[in-house]
Amino acid sequence: MKTEAEIRLALRQWVLKNSNKISAEDLGDDTAIIEQRIITSLQIMDLILFIETLTNCPIEVDSLKPGTFRNLNTIYKGFFHGDDDDRSAKES
Amino acid sequence: MMNDLETTAHKLCQASRKDYVNPYSDLEWPDTVNIHNWFMSPELISLYGTEHYDRLSEADRKKLSFYEAINFFSLNIHGEKSLIEGLAQRLYRRDVGPISSYLHHFLDEENKHMVYFGGFCARYAGKVYPDRKLSFPREYQSGEEDFLFFARVLVFEEIVDVYNVQMSLDERLVPLARQINLMHHRDEARHLVFGRKIVKELFEHYSPRWPGATLQAIREYLINYIMGAWKEYYNPDVYRDAGLVDPYRVREESFNHPRCRSHRQKITRACLRYLTENGILDKEPAL
Repeated sequence: MKTEAEIRLALRQWVLKNSNKISAEDLGDDTAIIEQRIITSLQIMDLILFIETLTNCPIEVDSLKPGTFRNLNTIYKGFFHGDDDDRSAKES
Repeated sequence: MMNDLETTAHKLCQASRKDYVNPYSDLEWPDTVNIHNWFMSPELISLYGTEHYDRLSEADRKKLSFYEAINFFSLNIHGEKSLIEGLAQRLYRRDVGPISSYLHHFLDEENKHMVYFGGFCARYAGKVYPDRKLSFPREYQSGEEDFLFFARVLVFEEIVDVYNVQMSLDERLVPLARQINLMHHRDEARHLVFGRKIVKELFEHYSPRWPGATLQAIREYLINYIMGAWKEYYNPDVYRDAGLVDPYRVREESFNHPRCRSHRQKITRACLRYLTENGILDKEPAL
């Protein structure tokens, strides 16, 4: 079982590895990775599969709420924190 | 829109009316299927040529072929859902008006495809594999959104059609799987004629007005889209259902395997040639 810090680091490294549009210094937990096109819609499938490897569990994409992929915080809360209400409040 | 495209659309309308299919009566559905048969040509199975495939027994390869077919039909359903959405948005739009009569056939035929793809998945697997793609709204240059929509459709259908043709002729496959592939190919052959025509004409019409950076971004997008379309063929859900251990590792290793790269390049060759010959891509990407 990975710790929160390990998961956040893994997510951060995935974004930096898969995008040449941001540097490590500029990527924060609240950086808008979709809005700023750091990660494109075509990369979401890869990101979902990467998250599945961390959770070891398939993701029901149909049940995802808008904003789940907004930034590293929302991704962590959406897939690892297990608190839907908290996630919805942050994204509204 | 353009006269040449209208002429093509008119001819395709006549062909669609002549080759009208009833997906409810043209297929016979057995109550069950024995999954220890071939449902997908072995050479088209995503793991073919890798150590993961070589290790499987004949029975396990056939079982894998069943779930690969479910994945192939599922990704067709997801592709067709977004295609129908995009076609419906364009139907009777002022600048599309003259080809709307063909868009009706296109829509009708895509819906029928989902009837038999979905029918197979629901009857025999009890599910359609979920789609892992998402799209986000963005701004487009003039004509860019239409061009990318039809280019995505074309790429998707070009790949699928190579599979359809090969499997429709493969006597190792259960008859129902062969027939579904044949029926799909018959319609797709017309869609590809239309797709190649409209993508070329949209590109020739709009691309001279796009800034260099936009054209560059469009080319990058298309290459990423082609790669993305291929990634869907390597589905960890399939490997899990077929009983393979560590399906995510299997996916990663297979996707990067030299035989799989060469398979993707071979299947996509005609599509890439079309895109480069028409200046849409400036070079053929390595897949």
